[in-house]
Amino acid sequence: MTCWRRLAAKIRALARNRRAEDDAAREIAAHLALLQDEFERRGMTPQQARLAARRALGGAEQARQLHRDSRTILWLEQTLQDLRHACRALLHSPGFTVVAIATLALGVGVNTTLFTACNAIALKPLPVADAPHVVRLERLLASRYLGDLQYAFSYPEYENLRDHQNAFASTVASSWPIRVLASPDGQRANPPIPVQAQLVSGNYFGALGIPASAGRVFGPDEDNAPGAHPVVVLSHAFWERQFHSDPQVIGRSLEINGSAFTVTGIAPASFTGTSINPQVPDIWAPIAMQQQLVPGQHWLRTPTDFEFQILARIQPGVAVSQAQAETDTLVRQFATTYITRDRTLSVKLQATAFLGNTDDVRFQAGMAAMMVIFLMVLLVACANVTNMLLARGAARQREISVRMALGASRARVIRHLLTESILLSLSGGAAGLALAAAAGKLLWIALNQVLVRQLGTDFVLSLNFNPDRRVLLYVFALSLVTGIVFGLSPALQLTRPDLCSSLKDDTTSFGRGLSRSRLRGLLIGGQVAVSMLLLTSAGLLVRGLSRSEHADPGFDTQHVYLMRADFGDNPARAAASFQRMMDWLPTLPEVQDVAYGSAPMLGTWTPPIIVHHPGAVAGEVQGRTLASYASDRYLETLGIPLLRGRNFTTRESAAGARVAIVSAGAARLFWPGEDPIGKRFQLDLHFDGKLTEYEIIGIARDVRMANLTRVDPARVYFPPDPALVLPAVVSLRGNPQGSLAALWSSLRTFDRAILPSVSLWNMETMVVSMQRALARALAMLAGILALLSLTLAGIGIYGVMAYVVSQRTREIGVRIALGASRGRVVRSVAVEGLRPVLAGMAVGLAGGAGASLLLHRTLSTPGSLDFLYGIRFYDPLTFLAITVFLIAISLVASLVPSLRAVRVDPVEALRYQ
Amino acid sequence: MILRTLATMGPQHAYGIAARLEQVSGDLLNLNQGTIYPALVRLEQHGWTKGSWSKTDSNREARFYTITRAGQKALEGETERWRQMSRVVEKLLAEEP
Repeated sequence: MTCWRRLAAKIRALARNRRAEDDAAREIAAHLALLQDEFERRGMTPQQARLAARRALGGAEQARQLHRDSRTILWLEQTLQDLRHACRALLHSPGFTVVAIATLALGVGVNTTLFTACNAIALKPLPVADAPHVVRLERLLASRYLGDLQYAFSYPEYENLRDHQNAFASTVASSWPIRVLASPDGQRANPPIPVQAQLVSGNYFGALGIPASAGRVFGPDEDNAPGAHPVVVLSHAFWERQFHSDPQVIGRSLEINGSAFTVTGIAPASFTGTSINPQVPDIWAPIAMQQQLVPGQHWLRTPTDFEFQILARIQPGVAVSQAQAETDTLVRQFATTYITRDRTLSVKLQATAFLGNTDDVRFQAGMAAMMVIFLMVLLVACANVTNMLLARGAARQREISVRMALGASRARVIRHLLTESILLSLSGGAAGLALAAAAGKLLWIALNQVLVRQLGTDFVLSLNFNPDRRVLLYVFALSLVTGIVFGLSPALQLTRPDLCSSLKDDTTSFGRGLSRSRLRGLLIGGQVAVSMLLLTSAGLLVRGLSRSEHADPGFDTQHVYLMRADFGDNPARAAASFQRMMDWLPTLPEVQDVAYGSAPMLGTWTPPIIVHHPGAVAGEVQGRTLASYASDRYLETLGIPLLRGRNFTTRESAAGARVAIVSAGAARLFWPGEDPIGKRFQLDLHFDGKLTEYEIIGIARDVRMANLTRVDPARVYFPPDPALVLPAVVSLRGNPQGSLAALWSSLRTFDRAILPSVSLWNMETMVVSMQRALARALAMLAGILALLSLTLAGIGIYGVMAYVVSQRTREIGVRIALGASRGRVVRSVAVEGLRPVLAGMAVGLAGGAGASLLLHRTLSTPGSLDFLYGIRFYDPLTFLAITVFLIAISLVASLVPSLRAVRVDPVEALRYQ
Repeated sequence: MILRTLATMGPQHAYGIAARLEQVSGDLLNLNQGTIYPALVRLEQHGWTKGSWSKTDSNREARFYTITRAGQKALEGETERWRQMSRVVEKLLAEEP
């Protein structure tokens, strides 16, 4: 009981420090006076009495100290004392403080930005009520597909879960974004605009706890009969963009795909949707309105139309594992009632995050790798600050030695020094957080711009890069650890129990501090190594970037458009509609050529290929090749020339005949030294072991169709199965703007039913440029990081050299006085300073070679990306240039202080300081 | 011990308490007088004593400590504990091997 009283009293004493101190002094003085009186009474002289009194008390200062120690919470008071001292010391040397804080801010800021991005993607919960209890359903498919299909369920499956799963308090379904054409009321004159819609179950907003920011959201009773309640809720972003935040829009009518809908409300600005793609939808409509938004499909009653993502709120008190087991059983039981190609193996309940697949091992490994690289930059910053602290600490060596001689324990002094470093690092962390917040905003803008350019102006990024609780915790922890990391080593160094020599009035002893200069050299070497590593990687990526700017895909992209449309659910009718369109398109004047087949550069298909060679092991050669479906006009439309042989005939193309055209690379790879025309090969088209045999009728020129980074090692083209509906490639003639507009207006007259789902992508601006943009982004990122670490390293080297030279001023003075030429002295000082730099460069070179080898290993499959665009991993030009660059910088950094030092008059230098 | 002193002698200042302790212990407890302060501070923080400035007989000012009622209770508790402890120790020591 009384211990609380004691604690309170201690805190009070802490607060009223000065008062308490004065009171104690007064009391002890009074005590001394009384003692003195007593001794005088016993017969001593006043002088003797005074001395005796002090002796009896045991020393006034010691008594005061005893009083003080028991009066307050000792460690707290000491910490406050240290803090005050550290503040004063840091403010006293503003240059050092600013540089240190700036350095740390850069290091911490960069890491925090990365963490903010990771947080936004993987850690932040969805903007729904009580997010920890909301789960997303994910299934494990037999094909082990990893993309977004494993999150797709059909409406009958949803109904089954909603009605039978008691472990869920509520279950909601939401579709993927659906492209519709909408005409805001009163704008019949303008063409309808493309709008991103999402079909959601009636209880979507209610179960997820999303209120309307204006108007009302729709409820379950508005989702009970197909087509009965044409209502929509607008997203905040869409409302701002399209209706300029006009509150009158509620209750107004919005025409979507020709049907009239009523706007009932606006969602709050913080609700960015729950889909696994990071896009904020424009409008939400009840699933019952599916026919109006997606005509020709029957999602409500087709169990194999996997169009919906399912989220569920778990009943309070039910364990996730139990709910998961029950869901698994329910879904698999239901799956036995219909037939689908890809079987469901199991169902998992996943915690919700903004992006899907965030628990994929590869994704997490990639994130971890990036964090490690960024942490290296932070380490470079730390090394800098450590060196600066060491240099600064040397000036305080005497003060510290005196303290320890007077009885301060080593731990106490280390605590004192660490307080200063932690104060520095926390300040640097705060500055870094500000930097990261700004960078997060910039990142959002940049990312949104890129995506808008690629996917159309109606895209709004749903990720939130603002710092939240998690980011703040991360910054604090990182700053704390950073402070300890860079502060501990100098603290340990400075408090080394070698008091004698440090108490001597000799700050420039020649041979001392060997271990300290070793540490310094190690730090410099480490900084240089990291800079070297980052610089070589950046250099390789930048060279790859310059290549990518001029990389020629090998086929026409300027006037070629990729066309995709949704022809409805019925396969026979869809194929017929598709064929009709394929016959109609060539009749248009603006269309030069039309073909259909695999979309170039949008995904790769690499089936196993088997070629029979009598001389080979087991009589056959196995490998992988890239494959494309191609109609008879495919190669012509894309402008890929035929080198030898003949093209497909119309009949062969329409019938899906088993003939193929191979690329020159494939010919070289699988039929080296012979003519492949007339030969045969087998493909395992669906990865199920069933082989299809093809006869080669022609050889086409090599192209970069898998991605822009490398020429396809091997590619085969063959006619598609007639029942398949594939993307079409259309090449237009004449003025691009005019032809495109003409094509759109022709499409409008052709078939209104499929019009909303038609997308026309220009190969150059939409597909190829995306890849170029990626290369640019990577190179820029690597360049920034490398430049950052180089700047830090340069500053570090300069600072250390300046300090070392200043320490050796006497030695330099002696040398010059004894007759050494200035040039020789500069050379020797500079060379000695360069030794750790050279060592660091060697380590960095080795690391850089290893890193580029790693990049090279990613080229294992025919369709994978080559980040370096064909630059060899041991590219001598890059490595040489970087080495020379670094040596130049180091030379400058070490020469400048040395030159300044030798200019000092030797008499001045030799004078006793 | 300080509490006992205060209880028997009434309000006293630090010097007076220290002198009394020296006297009673027959010079067996001859610490330097400054070491009394941690105990004084602790007692006051617990609320078992209360200090106030006043003048001595010789007209010197000093801080006088008075035992509080809570202090009396604590003193009784501590005394009882001490007596129990010493009884047990005596008993153990009295047992002949």
